[in-house]
Amino acid sequence: MRLVERRNFSRYFTGIALLLAVLLPLLAGMSFYVLNVAIIMLIFILFTSAWNFLAYSGQASLGHAAFFGIGGYVSTLIARATGFSPFATILVGGGVAAFIGLLIGLTCVRLKEWFLAMVTFGFAVIVQVVVASPLAATTGGWDGIGSPRLLSAEIPGYLAYEYYAILCITILSILCIHLILRSHVGLAFAAIRENEVEARASGINPVRFKLLAFTFSSFLTGIAGALEVHHIIYISPEIFHAETSFWPVIYSIFGGLGTISGPVIGTVLLTVIWEGLKGFGLTYERFIVIGVLLILVVIFLPRGLVSLPEEFRKRWGLRRTLAEPEKKSD
Amino acid sequence: MALEFGILLQVLFWGLYAGCIYILLATGLNLIFGVMKIVNFAHGELLMLGAYITATVFVLSGLNPYFIIFLTMLVLGLIGIVVERLCFRPILGTGKLNEIFLSLGLIYVFQNGVALIWGDERQVLNSPYQMVSVPIGAIQLPLDYIIIIVITVLILVGLHLLLRRTDLGRAIRATSQNRKGAMIVGIDVERMDMISFGIGSGLAAAAGTLWVVSGQVFNPYIGSIPAIKAFSIIILGGLGSIPGAIAGGLLYGIAENGAAYFLGGIWKDSISFLILIIVLIFRPTGLFGESGE
Repeated sequence: MRLVERRNFSRYFTGIALLLAVLLPLLAGMSFYVLNVAIIMLIFILFTSAWNFLAYSGQASLGHAAFFGIGGYVSTLIARATGFSPFATILVGGGVAAFIGLLIGLTCVRLKEWFLAMVTFGFAVIVQVVVASPLAATTGGWDGIGSPRLLSAEIPGYLAYEYYAILCITILSILCIHLILRSHVGLAFAAIRENEVEARASGINPVRFKLLAFTFSSFLTGIAGALEVHHIIYISPEIFHAETSFWPVIYSIFGGLGTISGPVIGTVLLTVIWEGLKGFGLTYERFIVIGVLLILVVIFLPRGLVSLPEEFRKRWGLRRTLAEPEKKSD
Repeated sequence: MALEFGILLQVLFWGLYAGCIYILLATGLNLIFGVMKIVNFAHGELLMLGAYITATVFVLSGLNPYFIIFLTMLVLGLIGIVVERLCFRPILGTGKLNEIFLSLGLIYVFQNGVALIWGDERQVLNSPYQMVSVPIGAIQLPLDYIIIIVITVLILVGLHLLLRRTDLGRAIRATSQNRKGAMIVGIDVERMDMISFGIGSGLAAAAGTLWVVSGQVFNPYIGSIPAIKAFSIIILGGLGSIPGAIAGGLLYGIAENGAAYFLGGIWKDSISFLILIIVLIFRPTGLFGESGE
């Protein structure tokens, strides 16, 4: 769960990843399919990073679909009612999600592991029912409602613009997460996660930081949800399904829990595997593959794929490469 | 007024019947938790698999489905042991979050494995006693429901006797009370892990069998929600407490059916989580839970 990364390596890696992300629409020849997959992938990178941010403070939510969907619904309903650009309404969606996240955070402050997982999971189930039934008049019930596009489809090559817009939002959000986790707030999160009693003893107020984590994570999740909905221009209570909550968990574990690059690597790799398996015409099998991979990672690589180079070095004793950059880093 | 009372009794009885399935799941989870201190969130997938095995054997052999329950429990017990050996033993003691993540993987594997073999259409099984109902006072009770309640009681009594009266039961209880102490007196705790996981899975299989024979629709995705409810039942009833699981199971069954009747079917699932959240706001360790866990 620690950020053991070699500066230089991670810098090159980030650079290459950014370059690839920027060039992708050109490399893919503006292919409709590739862009669609890439946009959803970016949205899930944002979603997963937001989930991971919360997990960094020791709180693993199994109901983030609630905030994802709330962001989507609020943004859609406001955009439909007022005619504002979705770029403005996603912030409102995120804001409402953050406020509700704060309330759920208040409920969860005193809860640990499974208890917290249960409450968040149950919350998503309750929200789904509330949206589908008592609020059906505004939300369209189970049929769902249409959502305005992020950018008008009349602009030539709008999908590429949409891609870049979402790329900017994602990069900006990850940068925010990075800065927060690098500051004293991140240290407080780690302290609370490792041992709450000791954290309290050293003057950290766990309640304040846990609520902060919940609120900011819900905010970003709400934005991710709103972006997805404005991309697929439709929203229904299906969005609150448990599977929506599980994906960011799976991506995070796969990439590496509690790291910045983990959610990105996990989401990208699994999306590629997922789409690849789809290419072979597999349906149920690909879920089984994901499930088996997840089990294997939890057992054999508990710190995720980002720890793979380190594990390799440990196993084959290439100490030279390990020792050098460690000294260099300030 | 007499009619009102009759309806109330009917709702109560449905709750009792629905509660049986939760009780079997929650008792199994609790037994496993007591011994291994882990939670298998994929417990409901074992219920689902049990439902499919019972249905398949029933269709192939035409035996009375209530006899197949023993076979299904045995098969699932063995599957449970395999799951314990391959998946849960390696991560024992590596952190509670890992159990949740591992279970997620298991859920995907089980659900889609079953969908691959049997397809994911909704299916229904017709019990031989489908049309038979017993009049008790003002209400008509389906015979199936009565058999299910009786079977659940028998299974629970059997479990009680196993845990209280046999050497194996004593060893299991010793392991759950004090793992190190049990090791010192010569109990093979890893074997106890395996056995209690097997028994827990067998109980889930019984729940699955009761699920199909009572004519409830089943598909590969039925397991998750009951399992999660069973888990919230043991949170309410106290982790590791079997009487708590029974009381909680009944409470949930009745509350749910009451909500479905009075508020509408869509509220059925959410009412149990509402209860859970409200209880946890006031008592973060559950109704009977000790502090610490």
